[in-house]
Amino acid sequence: MSRIFVVEDDKAIRDELCELLENSGYEVSAAHEFGDVSAQVLSSGADLVLLDINLPDANGQTVLKEIRKTSDIPVIMVTSRTGETDEMLSMSSGADDFITKPYNPMILLLRISAVLKRTQSAGAKTTYRGLPVNAARGSIGEGKNEIVLTKNEMIIFSRLLSSGGQIVSRDELMTALWDNEEYLNDNALTVNISRLRQKLTDAGLENTIETRKKQGYILL
Amino acid sequence: MNFFAYLKDRLPAVVILTTGYLIMLCFFGGYHSGGEQVCIISAVYWLTVLAVLCAEYFRRRRFYNKAADSLKGLDKKYLLPEMIEKPAFYEGLLCYDLICDCGKSMTENVSYHKRQADEFREFIELWVHEVKLPIASLSLMAHNEGEAGEKYTEQLSRIDAYVENVLYYARSENAQKDYIIKETTIGRVFKGAALKNRESLQQRGVTVTAEGLDKKVMTDSKWLEYIFTQLIANSLKYFSPEREAQITVCAEENDNAVTVHFKDNGIGIPATDLPYIFEKSFTGQNGRLHSKSTGMGLYITESLCRKLGHKVSAESVQGEYTDIMISFGKNDIYRPE
Repeated sequence: MSRIFVVEDDKAIRDELCELLENSGYEVSAAHEFGDVSAQVLSSGADLVLLDINLPDANGQTVLKEIRKTSDIPVIMVTSRTGETDEMLSMSSGADDFITKPYNPMILLLRISAVLKRTQSAGAKTTYRGLPVNAARGSIGEGKNEIVLTKNEMIIFSRLLSSGGQIVSRDELMTALWDNEEYLNDNALTVNISRLRQKLTDAGLENTIETRKKQGYILL
Repeated sequence: MNFFAYLKDRLPAVVILTTGYLIMLCFFGGYHSGGEQVCIISAVYWLTVLAVLCAEYFRRRRFYNKAADSLKGLDKKYLLPEMIEKPAFYEGLLCYDLICDCGKSMTENVSYHKRQADEFREFIELWVHEVKLPIASLSLMAHNEGEAGEKYTEQLSRIDAYVENVLYYARSENAQKDYIIKETTIGRVFKGAALKNRESLQQRGVTVTAEGLDKKVMTDSKWLEYIFTQLIANSLKYFSPEREAQITVCAEENDNAVTVHFKDNGIGIPATDLPYIFEKSFTGQNGRLHSKSTGMGLYITESLCRKLGHKVSAESVQGEYTDIMISFGKNDIYRPE
C-alpha cells in the first residue's frame, strides 16, 4: 500500500483530501504546521507528496527545491492559480506532475496512480496470474499463448490491475480512457469490457473480471 | 483658414480704420490739399492697413492649418498637444496653453481610471483564486459522500465554469500579457477540456470523436483549454433533441496554418445571426429561444484567440451543424532551433 503525504494549509480541503485518499486505499499523513515542511516530508517516509504551492510561511516551489536537494520522492504540485507560469516553474523545480484546484477527484486519483506507477515499476515487471503484462506491446503472456489486446482493452486492464484487487468504478475507467484520448461512451465501455473478458476466457483464464452492481468492476 | 472669414472677424478694426480715414479726409478738405496728395496718402494708408491684416492673417494661418493637419493625421486625437508647435502670437499662445492644460488633466483622469481598472482586475483574479478553495473542498466533500454527492458535483462544476468565465473575461479585456506561448499538442489540450467536462458530456449521451489532433501548434495551453471548454459548453447548450448528439474535433494542416474544427450536430445558427456571434453580449435567436445566454462565451473566445494570434471563424447550417474553426498560424520565428 502506497503512502501519501499531504501538504495543504486549508483545513477543510486537507481533511477531505485525506478521506478521499484513504477511501481509495492509500495510507495518508498530513502536515499540520508549515514551518519546516521539507523536513517533515523527508522524515515522513511517504511514497508520494501532494504539495500545495501557496503555503502560509513558504512557497511550494521553494519547498520542492529544498526536498529535491536530498530526495527524489515523487511530488505532485497543487495550485488554485490558473496560469502557465506556475506550472512551468514547478516542473522545472522537479515536480512530477501538476494539477489545478478545484480538481476533479477522479483526475487527481488517476494522476496519483500514474505517477506512482511510473516511479515504482520503473524496473519491476507487472504480472497477472503469473503471466507477464507487456503494456507497450499491448499483450499479456508470452509465446503462442500471448493474448493481444487493443489499446482500449489494455488501458482498462492496466487500470484494473493497478488497483490491486479493489473495485474500480466505471467513472474511473472512463477517466483513464479519456485521459489517453480515447473518448468512449457508456456503451463502448461495456462492449470493451465484455470483449476483454472474452479474450481472457479464450486464453483459459476463468472468472477474471467480475461486475459489482452499481459499484464497478474488480479483477480477480 | 479662410481670408474672407478672417476679414469678417476683423470687421470692428476695419470699421475703426475707415472712420479714421474719413476723419483724415475731412482734415485734408479743411487744409485745401491737392487731389494728388490725397490720393498718395490714401494709397499708402490703405496699403499699410492691408499689409498689417495680411501679415496677421498669415501668422495665424500657419499655426491653425498646421494644427488642423496634425489632427487629421492622428489616430489618437487626444495626442494633439504633443504635436503642435508653440505659436508666436499672443492669442495662439493662450489657446496653446489651454489645450495643453486640458490634455494634461485628461491624461491624469484616464490614468486614474486605468489604474482603477487594473486594481479591480487584480482583485478579481485574486478573488477567483480564493473562491476556488471552497469550491475545491466542496467538490471533494461531494465526492466523499459517494452517490449522494453526485448531484452536488454537477452544480459545483457549473459554479466552477462561471468562475472561470470571470477570470478569463478579466484576462481577455486587459492588455497585460499573462500567457506563455509554447509548442503544444492540440490533442493534449483538448483532452484536458474533455476530461473536465466528461460527466456532463456523458450524461447528455454525447459521442466525442477526435481525429488527427497530434499536430503541434504554438499557443498557451491553459487559454486554449479554456476555449475548448467554452466550445463544449456551447455545444451542450444547443444540442438537437431529434438526433444522437455528436462532437467531432479534427485538425488539418497546410503550408501556412493548422486549423482545428470543432463541429457539433446541434441546432445550428441562423444565417442572419452568424456574422454577429463573436460580438459582445450578442445572444441571437438561439440564446433567446433555447437557453439562457449571456452572449459572453464566444466573445471571450474570440478575444482570447485574437490575443494569442489565432483566427477564429464559424460555419453553420441551421438545424444541421455548427463548425467553429480556430486556425493557428505557423511562424517559425517562435520555434526554437
